[in-house]
Amino acid sequence: MKRLLKKEFKLTSLKLTYYFILFSLMSFIPGYPILLGAFFLTLGIFQSFENARLQNDTLFSLLLPVTKKDIVVSKYCYVMIVEAIFFLFCALITAFRMTVLKDAEIYKANAMMNANLAYLAYILIILALFNSIFLGGFFKTAYYVGKPFLLYGAASFIVVLIAEVIHHIPGLEMLNSQSKGLGIQAIVLALGIVVYIALTLCSMKASIKTFERIDI
Amino acid sequence: MKILEVSNLVKNYPNFTLDNVTFTLEKGCIMGFIGRNGAGKTTTLKSILNLVHPDSGDIKIFNLPFAGNENAIRERIGYATGSNIFYPRNTLDEIAETTKTFYSKWSDEDYTRYMKLFDLDGKKKLKDLSEGMKVKYSLTLALSHKAELLILDEPTSGLDPISRDEILSIFKYLKANGTTILFSTHITADLEKCADSITYIKKGKIIKSLPIAEFINSFDASSLEEIMLSQERNTSFDIEA
Repeated sequence: MKRLLKKEFKLTSLKLTYYFILFSLMSFIPGYPILLGAFFLTLGIFQSFENARLQNDTLFSLLLPVTKKDIVVSKYCYVMIVEAIFFLFCALITAFRMTVLKDAEIYKANAMMNANLAYLAYILIILALFNSIFLGGFFKTAYYVGKPFLLYGAASFIVVLIAEVIHHIPGLEMLNSQSKGLGIQAIVLALGIVVYIALTLCSMKASIKTFERIDI
Repeated sequence: MKILEVSNLVKNYPNFTLDNVTFTLEKGCIMGFIGRNGAGKTTTLKSILNLVHPDSGDIKIFNLPFAGNENAIRERIGYATGSNIFYPRNTLDEIAETTKTFYSKWSDEDYTRYMKLFDLDGKKKLKDLSEGMKVKYSLTLALSHKAELLILDEPTSGLDPISRDEILSIFKYLKANGTTILFSTHITADLEKCADSITYIKKGKIIKSLPIAEFINSFDASSLEEIMLSQERNTSFDIEA
């Protein structure tokens, strides 16, 4: 497994995917749907999958003395590592905004989403959708990447839309606050973590099964 | 000693059936696997490698069933094809550095030796190699992990006559060193220069699998090309003078 993961980073992953981690800096932008940063990260990961497809990565992996299960798990691990780095940056920026910049006027008057604990939860939900819809869809053929990405794209934009609307509903304003309702935000974040883990694990299990069955 | 035994292999597709494919390959032999485009050569080779799941049939490699012994078998086989090139934007040394971590018998000495023998520059990117050099590099990787059986899917297709001749000389060299080769092609002239036996597949069925001289004599022909033409030619395209 470790060797396959190394192969992902050495031969398959594009530098572009790492550059797209910098979209975490969007967490600083006021008056912008900052959740799109998570979508842009997954766009970068998608590029690496497209690159892998063009380089016959799946066939190469299948010819190695490794199990099909390990091939699937290593791909998921690769994606989760990139996502974890992105999430860590977003979390650090969110912490910075919620402490050092908590009284900044520019964020107090922000009609769009603020970086707070709920924001981190929404990021996890978008990443979970990527892992379940895109990765799960990819392993149905181990070749086609377009359709799964389109489906995931549609689902992620719905999440962005809901996340941007929900804090305008009376009584739910605290979901956009950087200082109030932190308890509720923490619960939302915990739910986000549960969704991420559950969807990713379910998708990985399903992908292992489908990848075992397909012909290359 | 039998290196490869394929018995009653069946794979059904909507418009094609691999129909009870059966043949065996002896250690240290070069077997030519011939047939027209679409006859089932690639499907058979992919079934042997378990890339395609047969509906029924048995495959034994090194006297081991593939199921349950996949990793042990893959350690001992090499696969190369003229059409699928892996990681073209990486250098040869980069690909080898990663590949070697998967094989317990990998030898850096052998890698260096074959790179020199085949006149390959490790600093070059795979995409910058000629088609013949790409095949040589695939062989280098396989031989560096001491593959005992090479499964090659049309490795000489698309090569110029000089490159093809070089590759065939390499096959003879490998055979002399004990490597077994299963080599699919529709360029029959190549096989007459190096093959010990021929397996002929037509529309998913094995027509014959015999030592090359016996194979040619059994059709009462003088060459493999003559046999292929007599068996496959569609006379409806003939134009009367």
